Amino acid sequence: MNRTSTLLGAESLFWDLITAPEGVRPGLEALVRAGKADPGAIESLVGGDDRLPAAERLDIYANMYFFRLLDCLREDFPRLATALGEQRFHNLATDYLLAHPSANPSLRYLGERLPGFFAGHALARESACLADLARLEWTRADLFDAADCRALGRDDVASLAGAHGGDLPLRTVPAFRLLRLDHDAPALWRELRDREQSESGTAPSSDETPDETSAAATWGAGAANAARLGEEAGSRCEAGHVHDDRPAPPLPQQKRRKTAARVWRRGFTVFHRAIDDEEADLLELIAEGTVLSRVAQRLAAGRSQARATEAVGRLLQAWLDAGILAAEPLR
Amino acid sequence: MDWFEVISENFMADGGRPLDVLEKVRARYPVVLHGVSLSIGSTDPLNEPYLDRLAALARRTEPAWVSDHLCWAGFGGHFAHDLLPLPYTEEALAHVVSRVHRVQERLGRPIALENVSSYVTFRQSSLPEWEFLAEIARRSGCGILLDVNNIYVSSRNHGFDPRAYIEGIPKEAVWQFHLAGHSDKGTFLLDTHDHPVPDPVWELYEHALRRFGRVSALVEWDDNMPTFERLEEESLRAREIETRVLGGAAMRASR
Repeated sequence: MNRTSTLLGAESLFWDLITAPEGVRPGLEALVRAGKADPGAIESLVGGDDRLPAAERLDIYANMYFFRLLDCLREDFPRLATALGEQRFHNLATDYLLAHPSANPSLRYLGERLPGFFAGHALARESACLADLARLEWTRADLFDAADCRALGRDDVASLAGAHGGDLPLRTVPAFRLLRLDHDAPALWRELRDREQSESGTAPSSDETPDETSAAATWGAGAANAARLGEEAGSRCEAGHVHDDRPAPPLPQQKRRKTAARVWRRGFTVFHRAIDDEEADLLELIAEGTVLSRVAQRLAAGRSQARATEAVGRLLQAWLDAGILAAEPLR
Repeated sequence: MDWFEVISENFMADGGRPLDVLEKVRARYPVVLHGVSLSIGSTDPLNEPYLDRLAALARRTEPAWVSDHLCWAGFGGHFAHDLLPLPYTEEALAHVVSRVHRVQERLGRPIALENVSSYVTFRQSSLPEWEFLAEIARRSGCGILLDVNNIYVSSRNHGFDPRAYIEGIPKEAVWQFHLAGHSDKGTFLLDTHDHPVPDPVWELYEHALRRFGRVSALVEWDDNMPTFERLEEESLRAREIETRVLGGAAMRASR
């Protein structure tokens, strides 16, 4: 079988070899077993010499393929990587990339399906709260470059005060998401961030300060990953699962607890915050587009007039301060 | 700094900091869009949504030019996010030329293609890389972004004379130079963009200047980042060499 005589055949074989999780030689052996390549296919495809045989040359691409994508996932899921430790995260990335190789020209979308994948992975059975942490982290990464929109300000609201205040249209900015989680992922995120900061010697920050954004991956950042080839201390450095004897960190454990969280970007900084069910329900309503009087109606149920007014004022103030209400409907 | 080059894919966003930074830079400097995912040599169909986004970014940015790489980047609908080398055959030549025509029609402008660093040569190849690149430029009308570091890296990895490469490229086709650092891995050089430009690459740059004359040059450094001042030193050195070799002032992003 000659897969190297056409451009299609050459690219197909090259691709199969450099994306094989255990490396180029084992990848070829698997292709031979499957009847998809000849044993001499590597040498038929590319040249080699004593200094650098053909398979080792292809291995350069194989390693770059995996480690570039691994680094991208680590950038988008930094707390998940901390929670799992190096080896488990490496192996999760291997499993994920086999199931969901990158299907978008931009690396920005590489991690899009990781939260769903993690939920069905063996690691989620050991630590279910990490599935929710992955959802929170992907949402943060996703909002990093979501569409801009002027946020509703106090002046906008003041201009509609009085008789027409109830008509104030409300909807959320594009860089806003409401998450319904089965665990308190925001608390776990904070705990892991504090652990990272403690281990790196940087000062812990309070939950209310602007947490660092999960920067979306940039392509160029991966270009030097191969500089580390063969330098992953203590572990076999190849694209397949790694196995080493070093102790892995204990996996986080949380009891199930329904938790809602709002995630949003203000300016260039992504924030998140756990919220109660009532606020979550109201934000769900607002995300679909509503008016202030409808929000006030919801809050009036079971409250005195005075307490309902106070609740409306408090929540509206919080949302205005956070910058999660869009100003566009006022235009 | 005279001008900036940005990785196109990093700015194919709906909003946020990337586009804000790009607009601020573009307001003061010429900008060149440099992509990594066009995958011009892939046997997969051209990615239409990607081309839509690239065209929109070009309309928004009004770049001096748009460039990508002479490589393939994916197969079977999946992406390696790497610059994979092509076999230098007549079949590949015809394939790439037809796709360059389509991309240029779609963008309404010619594009430039960059030579990549490589670690393999295909047994099927019937042309040296420089002849392949020159012929693509001749047949498609595209420009060449000549990466001097990539020529050096590949020459060491494959054992060819880097000056022969430069001599084989048509003078009028070169729109831009890239300069960068690499890593010596013992048995091969790896294109890492995380070191200063090494002396052999500066020497090759001088040779390129003598052949091609005044061409906009850009220093790439995108990992293990130095201070801006250190990066600027590299840029100033490129300018000094150009002035010494050719005399006069350095080029902005223009051709």
